[in-house]
Amino acid sequence: MKNRRYVLLGVVLGIMGIAAPAAAQEAEPAAGEAEAGLPGQPFDFPHDVHAGDNQIDCQYCHFSAERSMNAGIPPIANCMGCHAFVAGSEDPGAIETLRGYAERGEAIAWDRLYKVADHVQFPHMRHIAAGVECASCHGDVQEIRVIEEVNQPLTMGFCVGCHIEQGASRDCTVCHY
Amino acid sequence: MSEGIKRRDFLRVAGVTGAGAGLVGCSTEQVEKLIPYVTAPEEITPGVATWYSTVCGECSSGCGVWVKTREGRAIKLEGNPNHPISGGALCARGQSALQGLYDPDRLTSPMLRGADGHEPIPWEEAESLLLAGVRDAAPSVALVSRQAGPTLARLEAELMAGTGGQRIEYDAASEAPLREAARIVFGSNAIPTFDFPSAGIVFSFGADFLGSWISPVEHTRGFARASAAEEGGGKSPFVFIGPRLSLTGQNADEWVPVAPGAEALVALAIANVIAREGGDAGSYADLLQAYGPETVSAQVGLPVETIEDLAARFVADGPGLAVGPGIAAQGANATAANVAVLLLNAVGGAVGQTLRPGDGHLSAAASPAAGLAGVIDSMAGGEIQALILHNVNPAYTLPPGFGFSQALASVPFSVAITDRLDETAVQADLVLPDRHFLESWGDSNPRPGLWALQQPAMQPVPHFDSRAGGDILLGLAAGLGQDTGAADYQEYLRSAWSDVHAGLASEEPFETFWRGALRDGVVELPAEEVAAGELQAPDRAMSFDAPELEGDGLALIVYPSDRFGDGRSANRPWLQELADPVSKIAWHSWIEIHPETAAELGVSSGDVARVTSPNGEVEVPVWAYPGIRRDAAALAMGGGHTSFGRYADGRGANPMTLLPPALEQTSGGLVHLATRVTIEPTGEHRGLATIEGASDQRHRPIAPAVELEALLGGEIHEEEHAELYELQAVGGFVPVEAEEGIPEAYPLEGARYGEYDPEAAPRWAMAIDLDKCTGCSACITACQSENNVATVGEDQVRMGRDLAWIRLERFYETVDADIPGPVDIRFLPMLCQHCGNAPCEPVCPVYAAYHTPDGLNAQVYNRCVGTRYCANNCPYKVRVFNWFNFSEVPEPLNWQYNPDVTVRSGGVMEKCSFCVQRIRQAENRATLEGRSVEDGDVVPACQQGCPAQAIEFGNIRDPESRVAQLSASDRTYRVLDVLINTQPAVNYLRKVTLHAVEDIHV
Repeated sequence: MKNRRYVLLGVVLGIMGIAAPAAAQEAEPAAGEAEAGLPGQPFDFPHDVHAGDNQIDCQYCHFSAERSMNAGIPPIANCMGCHAFVAGSEDPGAIETLRGYAERGEAIAWDRLYKVADHVQFPHMRHIAAGVECASCHGDVQEIRVIEEVNQPLTMGFCVGCHIEQGASRDCTVCHY
Repeated sequence: MSEGIKRRDFLRVAGVTGAGAGLVGCSTEQVEKLIPYVTAPEEITPGVATWYSTVCGECSSGCGVWVKTREGRAIKLEGNPNHPISGGALCARGQSALQGLYDPDRLTSPMLRGADGHEPIPWEEAESLLLAGVRDAAPSVALVSRQAGPTLARLEAELMAGTGGQRIEYDAASEAPLREAARIVFGSNAIPTFDFPSAGIVFSFGADFLGSWISPVEHTRGFARASAAEEGGGKSPFVFIGPRLSLTGQNADEWVPVAPGAEALVALAIANVIAREGGDAGSYADLLQAYGPETVSAQVGLPVETIEDLAARFVADGPGLAVGPGIAAQGANATAANVAVLLLNAVGGAVGQTLRPGDGHLSAAASPAAGLAGVIDSMAGGEIQALILHNVNPAYTLPPGFGFSQALASVPFSVAITDRLDETAVQADLVLPDRHFLESWGDSNPRPGLWALQQPAMQPVPHFDSRAGGDILLGLAAGLGQDTGAADYQEYLRSAWSDVHAGLASEEPFETFWRGALRDGVVELPAEEVAAGELQAPDRAMSFDAPELEGDGLALIVYPSDRFGDGRSANRPWLQELADPVSKIAWHSWIEIHPETAAELGVSSGDVARVTSPNGEVEVPVWAYPGIRRDAAALAMGGGHTSFGRYADGRGANPMTLLPPALEQTSGGLVHLATRVTIEPTGEHRGLATIEGASDQRHRPIAPAVELEALLGGEIHEEEHAELYELQAVGGFVPVEAEEGIPEAYPLEGARYGEYDPEAAPRWAMAIDLDKCTGCSACITACQSENNVATVGEDQVRMGRDLAWIRLERFYETVDADIPGPVDIRFLPMLCQHCGNAPCEPVCPVYAAYHTPDGLNAQVYNRCVGTRYCANNCPYKVRVFNWFNFSEVPEPLNWQYNPDVTVRSGGVMEKCSFCVQRIRQAENRATLEGRSVEDGDVVPACQQGCPAQAIEFGNIRDPESRVAQLSASDRTYRVLDVLINTQPAVNYLRKVTLHAVEDIHV
C-alpha cells in the first residue's frame, strides 16, 4: 500500500510536468515537442568568446531578462547583427553554419538546459532588478566554451537558500501559482 | 498509519520518492527545444503579454474587446473600456470566443462533396470550383449571410449585384418585428436605443435584455446602475410581465405572470389608462380606446387594479422604460406586440428620455426570415443555380417545415463558407473554411456614429488551412471580372474606412487615423441630430390579440439560450459546462414546466419526457421551475446539434424541430411562439447534470436581503456584532479581548503564526454587491479562461465533480406564477472566501493549504497529495478536486491555456486563488517602476469581466481603497461568519428589495 502511494505521487508530479502549457517558451508550436536523449546542441556556441573575450553583456543577447519573466533567446537576426561582418577567428566553419541558418530563415533549435519545473514561476526581471548576478544561477559562462551541463540544479532548496540569505519572501505563492 | 512512523518521517520518505519520480516529468529525461525567432517581431517580448483591440463577433451587439496574446497566441478576451457598448466588460459567450478559435472540430482544409462524403481539396481547386460554379450560374445566384459588419455586408451586396443575384441576411434570432414596429410607430425602421440608467421604472414584456436580447452587456451595465441601491439613494423598480422568468425576469422586483402572447394587450391596457389620465396617445388615441383595463382584464385574467397600478407608477416613477417582447414572445402578433410596447413608451413619456428612436442598434440582427423563405422557394423552383451560404446554419436553426434541406439538395451548386462541417455545410457541395474573427479583418458600426475595427489578434491557427470570408469573396469578385479596387480584404476595408475618416473631418492623415483606430478600438463620429420620434399614424391593420397556438397542451416558449444564442456557440466546453444562469443545468437541454404541472403529468425533475408538437417530438429531461406559468413549457435554443462538433453533437434537443414553418405576417419574422406541446413521461429517469445544491436557503443567512425602506431608515445596523465587524474590517488579524468559547475569541492566540504583519502587508479582499449581480455568470467563464480551469463533462457534473472556481448560487425566496406580486430570487457568486480563520488550512497534512502574509488562502498544487480533507472541512464548498486529468484537451484547444497559471493535473485540489498571478504581476510591475502597488492595479478576471460592475477587489487594509469603501456599506455581511467565525475576505453587500423580506439574522 505504501509503495502504491509513492508511485501515485510520482505520477502526479510527472503528469504535472507534461501537462503544463508549452507557451512559456519563446517558441513556435513545435517547441513543446521533446526528444528523448541527452542534450546535443545543433552547433557549439562559445559563451567564453562572446561573454568572456569580447565582454558582450549577457542582456545584449538575452534581451528580455530585465523586463520579462523570460530571459529571451536571441533571434538569429541578433547574431547576424555582428556576424554579417565578423567572420570569427577561432572557428569560421561555425559562422558559416550560422549564416546558413540565417539564409534559410531557419530557427536554431537549441536544447534547453536550464528549466524550472512547470509549476514554478521564475521572474527574471525581479532578480535582475534586485541585483542578482546571472552567474549566481548560470555559473561563470564567460569561462565556459560550450555549456553542456547546468551549473546549478534549479532545485527548490537552492532557490529558498538564496531567498533566506537575501531576505526575500519565502511565501509559497511567490513562485507557485 | 502505524505508531512507528511519525508524520514528519512519512512526509520525508514521500518527499524523497516524489522528487525522484518527479525527475521523469521535470528534468533530464525529456529535453525541451528552445526555438528562438529568426527575426523577432518588434511587438513581442517573450513572457510579456501583447494586447490588441478588436470587436467581438459572438453575437451582433458589437462589444469592443481587448485580446491578450502571449508569444503570438490569443489567451484571453476582455472588454475594451474605451468602447461605449462593452464598457470594459464581456459576457460568457464573448469570453468563450477563444474556444471557438481553438475549436478542434474546425475544418482543416476546403472540402468537396463526393460519393463518400466530403473530401479535402487544395485551396486553388476550391476557389476555381467556386468561381466556375458562380460564373456558370449567374444571374441565378444567391448569397445568404448572417448579420455581418458594414464593410463585409457591402462587399457581399456588391458581389451579388455584379452577378445579378441577390444577397439575403438571415439570423435565427431576429428582431424583425421590433424593426417593423419602430417603422410603424416612429417612421424609422432603426431598432431604438434603451437608456436603462435614466429609467425610474422599467417594464419588460418578456424581453431577456440581460441575457440574450440585442445588447446584453450594455443593458446589464445600465440596468445595474439604475436598479442598484446606492447609499442613501433609491432603486428603480423593475416589473417583468411575461409567462416565464428568464434571467432578466429573475432580476425583477415584481412579476406579472401573463399568458404567452398576451403581452400586447397588457401593454395597450396600461397605455390606455395613462392616456385616460392625460397621456398623449396622438394618432393612436382611437386605437387605445378599445383596450380599456376592464376589457383586457377579462381577456387576460389580470386584475384591473394591477393594470391601473402599473400605469400610475409608470408615470409617477418616470421616466419609465418599457421593453419587449423579445424573441421568446415572438408570436403571430409579434409586430403588434412591439407596437403596443413602443406605444406605451410614447404615451408614458419615455420617448426621447429613456427610449431614443432612430438612434438605434444598427447591428441588431433584424432581417426577417421571410427573406430566406423566399430564397428557399426559389431554390425549390429551380431558379437558383448557385447558392453561397456564409456563416449561416439554416438546416439547424430553421423549423424543418420550411424545407430548406430538400430545397438545398435541388440546387446544382451550393457552397458553405463556414468554420466547420455543420448541419448545413454537410449538405453543401463545396465547403470553404472561414477564419475566426480573432484571425481576420472586419469592422462594426453598432450605432450611428460609432465605428470599430476588427483586427486579427494573431496569425491564423496553423492547424486549420482557412481563408477569411472577405478574401474568398474578393477573390470570387476578381475572378468574375468585377473591379473591387482592392487586392485583399484588408485593403478593401481600409478604403471603405476612408469614408469614416472623412466623416471625422479631422486634419490628421489617414494613416495616423487608421493606427489610432486600431489602437483605441473605437472611433466616434460627431453625433447627428436624431429626429424627435413623432408618433406616426398606424399605416396598417394589426391584431393585438393573443395569437392562436396550434396543437394541444402547454404553450411552448422557444427562447435563445443565454449561453449558446441560436446554437452557434454550442461546441465549447466552457459554455456547455457553464451552468445555465436560470436552471443551473449544464451539458444537456431540459424542458421547463411548473412544479404543479409536473405533478399533474406525473413527472419530476430529471425524468425524461416526450415533448410532442404537431411538427415533431423530442425527448428531454424535465426541470420543474416555479418561475413559469402552469400553462406553459419552455425549451432553450442551441441544443440537439447533429453535426457541429464533439462537444455539441447529440447533446440536448433542438426546439426548432417542434415549430411550424410560420412567418409573422406584418414583419416576415419567424414565429417562435406558435405551438402547444404535450408532455408525457417516457419512464426513463436521467437525472439532471446540475450544480444546484439547494434552491432554498432554509432560513440560513447565506444571501440575506434588506428592504429599501429599512435600509434608508438605518435599521440594518447590528450592534451586537460591532466588535466582530470592526475586527474584520481591518482583515481579522487584530487580537480581541473576548471570553473563551464565543466566536469573537477566534483566531485564538496560538493560531496567529507566521509572517503576518498588518502594517507591512496588504490584505487582499473582495466586495460583491448582490444588488448589482444579475447572475449572468460571465465571471465564471472569465475565471475558466484566466485560470485554466478544466471542464469535466456531463457525467462528472452529475456526480458533483465540476471544477468551476465560482459557483453562482440561485435561491428562490418569493416566486409565484399565479398572481402578480413581488418576485425575489437571490444570486450569490460563491468563490473561495479566503477566510482569515480558514477551516481548510489546519486539516491539510502537507501544508498545501495555508495562509499567505497578504491574506490569501493559498493552495500549493505541487504540495497537494489529494487527501481532500480541506474540501471536506470547507463550509462554503468552494474547493474542487481534479479526479482525472481533465486538463488534457485535444490540440489545439490547449493553446487557450494561460502560461502564467499552472495547469493542474489529476489528484490535485484547486480553488479560487484571487487571481494570485495578477497580484504577483502587479507587484512585479510596481517594483520595476519603483513604486508600491496602488488601488486598481490588481483586477481579478471575474471583476474585469463583470457586466454589472458588481465586484471590487483590493487591499482592505487601505481605507482609501475602493474595496474598503464599498465594504463599509451598511449592507455588508460575510457569509456564515457569525456562526463559524471564518473571517472571510469576501464581503457581500445585501440585495435591496422593494418588499418586506424575512429578517434572517446575520
